[in-house]
Amino acid sequence: MTSAADNILEVRNVTKRFQGLVAVNDVSFDLRRGEILGLIGPNGAGKTTLVGMVNGTLSPTTGDIVFEGRSVRALPAFRRAHLGIGRTFQVMKPFPGMSVLENASVGALFGAKGGERNLRRAREQARESLEFVGLGKRIGQRADALGGPDRKRLELAKALAMQPRLLLLDEVMAGLNHVEIEEVIEDIRKVRDRGISILVIEHVMKAITSLSDRAFVLHHGEKIVEGPTDEVLRDARVVEAYLGKKR
Amino acid sequence: MSAPSARDAGDGSGPLLAIAGLDAGYGEMQVLRGIGIEIRTAEIVAMVGGNGAGKTTLLRAISRLIPSHGDIRFDGRPLPTTADEVFALGLVQVPEGRQLFDRMSVEENLRMGAYRRHDASGIAGDLERMYDIFPRLSDRRRQLAGSMSGGEQQMCAMARALMAKPRLMMVDEMSLGLAPVIVDLLLETMTRIRGEGVTVLLVEQDVHAALSVADRGYVLETGEIVGQGTARELESDPEVQRAYLGDVTAGGV
Amino acid sequence: MNARIGFIVSAIVVAALAGLPWYGNSVLVQFGISVLLLATLAQGWNIIGGYTGYASFGNSVFYGLGAYGVAIAMVQFNWPFWVGMLLGLALALVFAALLGLAVLRLRGHYFAIATLGLAFIMTAIVSNLEIAGRNIGLVLPLLKSDALFYELALALLVLVTLTIFWLSRSRFGLGLIAIRENEEGAAVMGVNTTLYKVLAFMLSAAFTGLAGGIYAYYITFIDPVGVFDVALNVKMIIMAVFGGPGSVLGPVVGAFVLSTVSEVLATKVTSFASMFFGIVIVIAVVFMPRGIAHLVENFRRTGWRYFAENVRTHRL
Repeated sequence: MTSAADNILEVRNVTKRFQGLVAVNDVSFDLRRGEILGLIGPNGAGKTTLVGMVNGTLSPTTGDIVFEGRSVRALPAFRRAHLGIGRTFQVMKPFPGMSVLENASVGALFGAKGGERNLRRAREQARESLEFVGLGKRIGQRADALGGPDRKRLELAKALAMQPRLLLLDEVMAGLNHVEIEEVIEDIRKVRDRGISILVIEHVMKAITSLSDRAFVLHHGEKIVEGPTDEVLRDARVVEAYLGKKR
Repeated sequence: MSAPSARDAGDGSGPLLAIAGLDAGYGEMQVLRGIGIEIRTAEIVAMVGGNGAGKTTLLRAISRLIPSHGDIRFDGRPLPTTADEVFALGLVQVPEGRQLFDRMSVEENLRMGAYRRHDASGIAGDLERMYDIFPRLSDRRRQLAGSMSGGEQQMCAMARALMAKPRLMMVDEMSLGLAPVIVDLLLETMTRIRGEGVTVLLVEQDVHAALSVADRGYVLETGEIVGQGTARELESDPEVQRAYLGDVTAGGV
Repeated sequence: MNARIGFIVSAIVVAALAGLPWYGNSVLVQFGISVLLLATLAQGWNIIGGYTGYASFGNSVFYGLGAYGVAIAMVQFNWPFWVGMLLGLALALVFAALLGLAVLRLRGHYFAIATLGLAFIMTAIVSNLEIAGRNIGLVLPLLKSDALFYELALALLVLVTLTIFWLSRSRFGLGLIAIRENEEGAAVMGVNTTLYKVLAFMLSAAFTGLAGGIYAYYITFIDPVGVFDVALNVKMIIMAVFGGPGSVLGPVVGAFVLSTVSEVLATKVTSFASMFFGIVIVIAVVFMPRGIAHLVENFRRTGWRYFAENVRTHRL
């Protein structure tokens, strides 16, 4: 239905095998330019593995990843960053010994299009991303001195400082309280309003229903359902995936 | 969601484990808020909820692996504050992901479970009991634990916990990554263990599996108890689905 | 620390040091050469070990290559010293690139062990090379001018320190630090980690090799066991770590302080010299594990509590 030009990302028949285990089995999906797509599924379904293959942390055993019309499956992670793919991690990856500003600056210096060469401009970009997530007052602090929610904000700021065109958010809501969840939902909306396409992986369903029009579900490494978000969440197969088989 | 009364009853008539107003988390991130549950002797209690609801955090708080605030009473008395003492009292955890000693044999793993015990004949007797409860382990006594299948590893982990002669066994996400057939086998074992006087707290993502053997259950969502009741009651409670998949009737986008 | 003040102070110190051959005695000058070369080695190690976080136990390989470059050039081909230095530099760079590509894909302990192995392999290879004089070694032409070697060593130290100063403020340097702090995180943010690691290794090798070249001409005689010495590598690591890895001046301070302490102890308290040296190191690791540089930076803020906090962190 959507022409290829409308898709910023096309994942085609991707399979990932780790020795004997098939973590992701023949999964395909499209992400349209400017949309927020939800990815859900119970623990161990293969969501993080799938996302890892999009940003380059892992490479697919078979299948292809097409970003903005070109195949990127053979490209290492850093080249995909240059092309405009940014990602946050469930197990966060800050640079503990650096300041908050320096952390975000790395994103600005090495991100999309190879990043900024000029340190001053990079710092400006970094500062802007940090202000956006609400860390403006902490730019001089060491990253390892930040508390839990602030670390999540930093993780997001780092990815944003890269000026990505596609942002992969891996469980950013984990561990947040209701107020914080609302704040992050708002932030993600603002990110989309800047023209960035987003893939949101979540267990906090409120985020999925608030942000994404479409969603798909992974279970035991396979895509079992796809469609408008509220239909997906009511689908019997999805309920069974999460709650288990009735006995 | 009424908090159970934490009565000081050392006569065995009160609950085995009573928790009231428990808050716990990791540094600045508070995960659990005001948790109150009750577990009676020789019960199987299920704790269900989606990923990230706080189930593992709750077990860690009970085992005193992470700090917490609130009232926890075991056998009517305040629960000790170090992990060591909690284990010595008989609260034993079967952790998520098994956490076996991969390069030790099955039998060595089981003996590690009895590490704190000094009754050699009792230990030997219990070892045989384990092999009786889990025949598959009997065939694999000398096999390296890390080389077994997921289901067998789970059996080994449970047997190891049982070797510590627990009064309360807390099982974290037993069904993860296992085929339904194996899960059913393990659930049967739960019932048998309960028959021998061991109380079980079953933390599970798979609601139906947990409720098929549990007497009662609690539902956890975003760090709070949002439902409780007998297994039968919870089986048909729509709140349970809502806790996992959200409120689909109320508008989202 | 205010950069301008730092510059002025450093310039004064360098000037004072440069004048040593005129106001100091010959023993002091020789001691000076040894310390300056060690400081250069510590700084060279700082690039790959301190900033990039890859603790190399193979830097002595580049030291030896630099030494042999000069020795072979001057002894076998009768080329002038500076050509020998270029040869040594070229050898160090080429080996760093090739070995780096192979060995930098290993992490942590494995990298350390692999580089340790390199030193032994080099010793064995060179011991069998005719052109290098096999295990007998080479004797270089004699140049009786300690002052010249002293100034060369000082110039090299200034050069490597300026390079590290540039590193600490450059995009490249920040990329290296990112690799140290979280390599996977750096890669997903766009840092070409393989390229950067190899470049850091080559930069480290360059200065280490040049130091080896100066040493060879100064000492006049080199053999495989002497210049590919692992103990030397350990020394440069201790000095860099004691002084403050990942800082601009730390390793220099570390080299100066530890060399002086070692020298003083050796002359005054000979029998206990080694023991005291060891004790100094242990105390330093416990009370100021991030080196002198970090201590200076943070003492102003936390005062004497700095030491107490470090002890508590290590749960002693």
